Amino acid sequence: MSTSLPGAPLLAAANLTKSYGNSTALAGVSLQVRPGEATAVMGASGSGKTTLLHCLAGIILPDTGSVRLLGTASDVPAEITSLDDAARSALRRTEFGFVFQQGLLIPELTAGENVALALMLNGTPRQVAEQQAAAALAALGLGGMEGRRIGELSGGQAQRVAIARAQVNGARVLFADEPTGALDSRTSADVMALLLQSVAGTGRALVVVTHDPEVARWCSRVVTLADGQIVADTAGVAR
Amino acid sequence: MSASAVVARAVDSSPWAVPLRLTWLLNRPGTSGSAAAILPAASFAVVTTLLLTVLAGALSFTQWGDDEGNLYLLLAAFALILLVLPLLTLGGSAARLSARRRDEHLSTLRLLGASARTVRQVTVLEAAAQAFAGALAGVLGYVVFAPFVQLIHFRGAPLGSAYWLHPAAAVVGVAAVVALAVVSSVISLRRVVISPLGVRTRADAQKVHWSRAGIAVLIVVLCVAALLTPVGAAALALAVLFGAFAGGLAVLNLVGPWLVTVSAKRRLRRAATPQALLAARIVLDAPKAAWRQVSALSMVCFTAVVAGAGAALLQTAQSEGPEDFLLQDVMTGVFITVIAGFLMVACSAGINQAATVLDRAELYRSMHRMGMPREVIDAARTGAVMQPVVLVSAASAAVSAVLLFPVTGAAILFNPVAMAFLAGCVVVGILLVRAGLAATSPVLTSVLERDVQ
Repeated sequence: MSTSLPGAPLLAAANLTKSYGNSTALAGVSLQVRPGEATAVMGASGSGKTTLLHCLAGIILPDTGSVRLLGTASDVPAEITSLDDAARSALRRTEFGFVFQQGLLIPELTAGENVALALMLNGTPRQVAEQQAAAALAALGLGGMEGRRIGELSGGQAQRVAIARAQVNGARVLFADEPTGALDSRTSADVMALLLQSVAGTGRALVVVTHDPEVARWCSRVVTLADGQIVADTAGVAR
Repeated sequence: MSASAVVARAVDSSPWAVPLRLTWLLNRPGTSGSAAAILPAASFAVVTTLLLTVLAGALSFTQWGDDEGNLYLLLAAFALILLVLPLLTLGGSAARLSARRRDEHLSTLRLLGASARTVRQVTVLEAAAQAFAGALAGVLGYVVFAPFVQLIHFRGAPLGSAYWLHPAAAVVGVAAVVALAVVSSVISLRRVVISPLGVRTRADAQKVHWSRAGIAVLIVVLCVAALLTPVGAAALALAVLFGAFAGGLAVLNLVGPWLVTVSAKRRLRRAATPQALLAARIVLDAPKAAWRQVSALSMVCFTAVVAGAGAALLQTAQSEGPEDFLLQDVMTGVFITVIAGFLMVACSAGINQAATVLDRAELYRSMHRMGMPREVIDAARTGAVMQPVVLVSAASAAVSAVLLFPVTGAAILFNPVAMAFLAGCVVVGILLVRAGLAATSPVLTSVLERDVQ
C-alpha cells in the first residue's frame, strides 16, 4: 500500500529488477516520488536500497522495468531506462542532486568552487556560477566561507556544502545516500533539517537511503526494503 | 634436523618473524592484496627495463678501448648521471604506489594492535618482494627490447652484441631496484602516519615563496658574470663552464616550484571550464609534488640544449674525418638521453596517475554519479600533469639558451636543421608523457564502470 502524497509523481519506477550474478538486488520494485515528498528508503544491509537509488537516478540501468521522470522542460516524460549514458549524465546534472555519506567534495577546490562546479558543468559562466554558489552557501549558514578549503571545514559544514552543491542547479529530485552516516547526532539533525528545508514548498522531492530510524523519522514517508522488495510503505512521523 | 627446519627455526627467532608471516598472509596468492600488487610490480618492471637498457648502452662503449672510446665512455657516464634523477623519480613513484596500495590493510593491522615498527617492517618487506618480482620481469623486458636497441649506430656501426650486459651487471641492476624500492618505501612511510583509523590526510595547500625567484636571478647574474670574465688556464675555464652548468640546474630547481605555482595561479584565474579549474587547483594543491614529478625533465632539456647546440655548432665547423662520427654520435646520445628521460617521466606520471585514480576512486565515482562526464575528469587530471610538463620543458630550454646564448644563437643560425631536430625530440618527449597518461585512462574507466557492474 502506497502512502505517498496525492498528485502527479515526479519520478515513477515500475517493476524494477536488478541482479548481480546470482544475487538479486531488486525483485520487482515499483515506486512513485511526488513533489514536496521526503521519502526514506530503509532496509538492512544488502536489501537493495542503494541499488534502488542508483536505478532511480539513472546511475545504473535495471535489468527490467522502467523509470520515468515527469514534467521535464519538453513536457515529455523522460524514460530514463531508455537513455544512453551521456543523456543520463546530462539528466543527473540538470534534474538531480546528490548528497553522499562522506560529502565526497573535491579536496583541492574551495567550498565555493565545489558548489560552482555543478553549475559550470551545465555551461554556466564561472563568475555567475561562483556568485550563485556563494548565495547557496549563505542560505545554508556558510556565508563568507566560500573561500575555505574542504579540509578546513567540519564534517557538518562539509555536508552543508554538499547540500548546496546538490540543489544549486535547481535539481527537482535530491538523492541522499546515508547523508548523516559520518556525523554526530546533533549535526545529523542539522543536516536533515536542511535537506527537508530544501524540499519543503519548493516542488522538489527528496529520497534518502538510510539504515538509521532516527533519520527516517524526519521524512514524510518511509519505504522499507527486504530482499529486493518493498515490504512496507508507511507515513513518516514528520508527515 | 632438516635444512628447512633449521631455516624455520631461524625465522621464528628473528625479529622479522611476525612481519614475515604477516606479509605472506596479506600477499599470498589468491588474496586481494596480491591483485593490488600487480600494478606496483609492473612499475618496477618498467624501471628495471629502462635501467638495464640505458646501462647496457653505456657499457657497450667499453668494446673499443682506444682514446676516443674512452671519451665515449665519459659522455655515456655523463648521460647516465643525467638519467639518475628521472630514474629515482620513477622508482619513487613505483614505491609510493606500492605503499598506497597497502594503506588500508596497514591501518587495519594497527587497529588489531600491530606496533608501528611491525607495520613499517611489513611495508618494507612487501615493497622489496614486489620490486624483486617486478625487476625479474624487467630483465625480460630488457632482453625483448635488446634487438631493437642493438640497431643504434655509434662510430659508424651498430651496437650489436656489445650491447649484452654481463649477467652480474643484470644482478646488480635488480639489486639496485630492490634497494631503491626499500629506501623509497622507508622515506614515504616517514611522510605518513598510519594510525588504526586510517592514513593521515592533509588539509593545507603547500606554499612556495617568491624569494626562490630572487635567489634564482642572483645565480643567473653570477653565472653570466663568471662566463664573461676572462680566464687564463683552460682548467679554470672548464671549471667556470661546469659551474655555470651546475648553476643553471640550481636555478631551475629553485625557480621550478615557484614557476609552476605562478603558472597554475594564472590558469586558475582564467579557468572557464570545470576541467581547467580542476587542473589548476590540483597543481596549486601540491606545487612541489607537481614540480618533483617533472623536475627531471628540466635537467634533461637543459643539457639537451647545451650539448645539442654545442655539437650542432661544431658540426658546421668540421670537415671530413673521424670527428664527424663523434659529433653525430653526440647528437644521437642527446636524442637518446632526451627520449629516455621523457620516457621515464612518462612512466612515472602514468604510475602516479594510476595510483591517484585508485586512491580517489570513490570521489571520481561520486562526480560521475552527479553527471560529470568521464571526459571532464580525464581532462582535469591530464591537464594537471601536462601543464607543468610543457612549462618545465620550455622554461628549461629557454634558461639554457639564455645562459649559453652565444652557442645556442650561433647553432640556430648555422645549423638550424640540427636544432629543429633537437626541438623535435623535446616535442616527441612531451607526447610520450601524454601517451603515458592516456595509458591510465582504462584505470579511470574501470573505476567509473564499477557502479554499472
